[in-house]
Amino acid sequence: MAITVRRSNQQLGDVGDTGAAGGSDAIRLHGVGKTFDNGFEALREADLEVRPGEFVSIVGVSGCGKSTLLRIIAGLITPSHGVVTVHGTPVTGPRRDVGLMFQRPALLAWKTALENVLLPVGIHRRVTDADVTRAVGLLDLFGLEGFAFRFPQQLSGGMQQRVALARLLMTGASVRLLDEPFGAVDELTREHLNLELLKVHDQDSSATVLVTHNIFEAVLLSDRIVVMTPRPGTTAVDIPVPLPRPRSWDMLQLPEFQRIAAEVRHRLVVPAISTGNVA
Amino acid sequence: MTGGVRDDKPSWSSRFGGLTLGRVLAPLCFLVAILVLWDLANTQGWVSDLILPRPGDVAVSAYELFETGLIWEHLWATLFETLAGFALAALLAISLALAAGWSRLLRNMIQPYAVTLQVLPMISLAPIIISAFGFGYQSKIVMAGLISFFPIFVNTLTGLTMPDPQEEELFRSLGAGRRKTFTYVLLPTAAPMVFAGLRIGLTLALAGAVVAEFVSAQKGLGLLVQRFSYQLNLDDAFAVILVLTAIGLLLYAAVGLVDRLVVFWRRESGLVARSRSRRRRFERRARKAQAPGPTPQTPRDPEHHEPTNSDPRHQEATR
Repeated sequence: MAITVRRSNQQLGDVGDTGAAGGSDAIRLHGVGKTFDNGFEALREADLEVRPGEFVSIVGVSGCGKSTLLRIIAGLITPSHGVVTVHGTPVTGPRRDVGLMFQRPALLAWKTALENVLLPVGIHRRVTDADVTRAVGLLDLFGLEGFAFRFPQQLSGGMQQRVALARLLMTGASVRLLDEPFGAVDELTREHLNLELLKVHDQDSSATVLVTHNIFEAVLLSDRIVVMTPRPGTTAVDIPVPLPRPRSWDMLQLPEFQRIAAEVRHRLVVPAISTGNVA
Repeated sequence: MTGGVRDDKPSWSSRFGGLTLGRVLAPLCFLVAILVLWDLANTQGWVSDLILPRPGDVAVSAYELFETGLIWEHLWATLFETLAGFALAALLAISLALAAGWSRLLRNMIQPYAVTLQVLPMISLAPIIISAFGFGYQSKIVMAGLISFFPIFVNTLTGLTMPDPQEEELFRSLGAGRRKTFTYVLLPTAAPMVFAGLRIGLTLALAGAVVAEFVSAQKGLGLLVQRFSYQLNLDDAFAVILVLTAIGLLLYAAVGLVDRLVVFWRRESGLVARSRSRRRRFERRARKAQAPGPTPQTPRDPEHHEPTNSDPRHQEATR
């Protein structure tokens, strides 16, 4: 992918060939740009391909359009330019095979942990016993056995985020989008939650896109790391992470881990300085 | 699992929801001080008995009002007017606010007027309303309703337009339509504000009924206050005011009680109680469905039998 130099694909010029070529990709973004109504250009010429089962992290400084990119994939924001497909079909709005998780758990305060996990099912149809069994199993998976009937305020921040993670899995979405999901929890809980995420990722073949500020988190979890640069936001560099799976925090000591982390940091810092000089 | 859980008995203060001695004793002392000062003002001749009766006399008058049974028909009249006016206003205000919360066009149409009309002293309308609706219950109900309508409406609408963007985004991403988002997220989010509006509204409805009775009435506590004042029978006038205060407090407490039951998630005790009942309901359902098919296993709550104020965070740490 590397640095995008193409300027040819205005609007939806190449829908035809992306439909065919993107068939095997879980997510495919091509020349995506977004200019908001107030004239702010959040994103320009962003490209991204994620295969099924792949874990891709997007890192970048604040305001580089990471969240906008994620919301475009989720169908919450309509792009001004470019093509977005999920499993080969164009994204026209929120869809059931794409799940989203935010920095805040966004749990309903008047529903128990179990009811919150069941929400993705409950808003579409009647909840069955099988659904309940599955939701209870997901809560157990994240170490929340015994807390199913607690309300969010009766849970710690880390536990709330684990409920949100269980709710994300309950959607059954094969594309998972995580927007700085552990940005608001403390460092120790964060490391623990990262391992939970790894556990989940290694179990199924879903594609995951994680937006994060944390370089080590990105290296630990990802198959590839996409560095975004700001003003306007674009996908600048694509760094592969050839560490073996299953991953663990012990890998932090590996020279390879350190090398990748250093490269991500370098890529994050250098473009910021150069654009500063230009501007 | 329970290793880190505090297992000390809840203290008396927490059992009564924070009703510690200080919280009861302090206001009580203040009340006694005021009453002593009041009585002193009379006995020392700072204020004439004709204007401010002695507290003891007021108490005796209040007792006599009930003892002779004189007050009852007036009390029921005022209570009926207040509740009827409040009920009508609440029904109308909440339905209108729900409609306005749903439709942006409707909201834009009526919100500015609803907010502006709030500054209009509704009490000034009392004479007009009496002439329009007559001297009976009707005019008092309309007055009570009119004065309580706006706080309920404005509060409900404000509650509905206080969106949590992340929760709304979540629901959109889950494929929920506007109606689902409205009922699942917006309504419960607005509930605390609705109840705040209802509290203000009910108190104001009582004021509206009394004011309308001042203007013209055959029955009612407002009429009694006015009549006693004209007769310079201030013992009785104050006694009626005391009764009005008691009614106001009771109504306020009643709304507060419903508020606690409905908006249970704003109080720790409500959460604990609901958490228990949800668990029990789940177990009952699981037992009923035991015979056929796979039954969902009841997740165990390690603190199920523990005191109510234990902190789940302790468990997190010991995990």
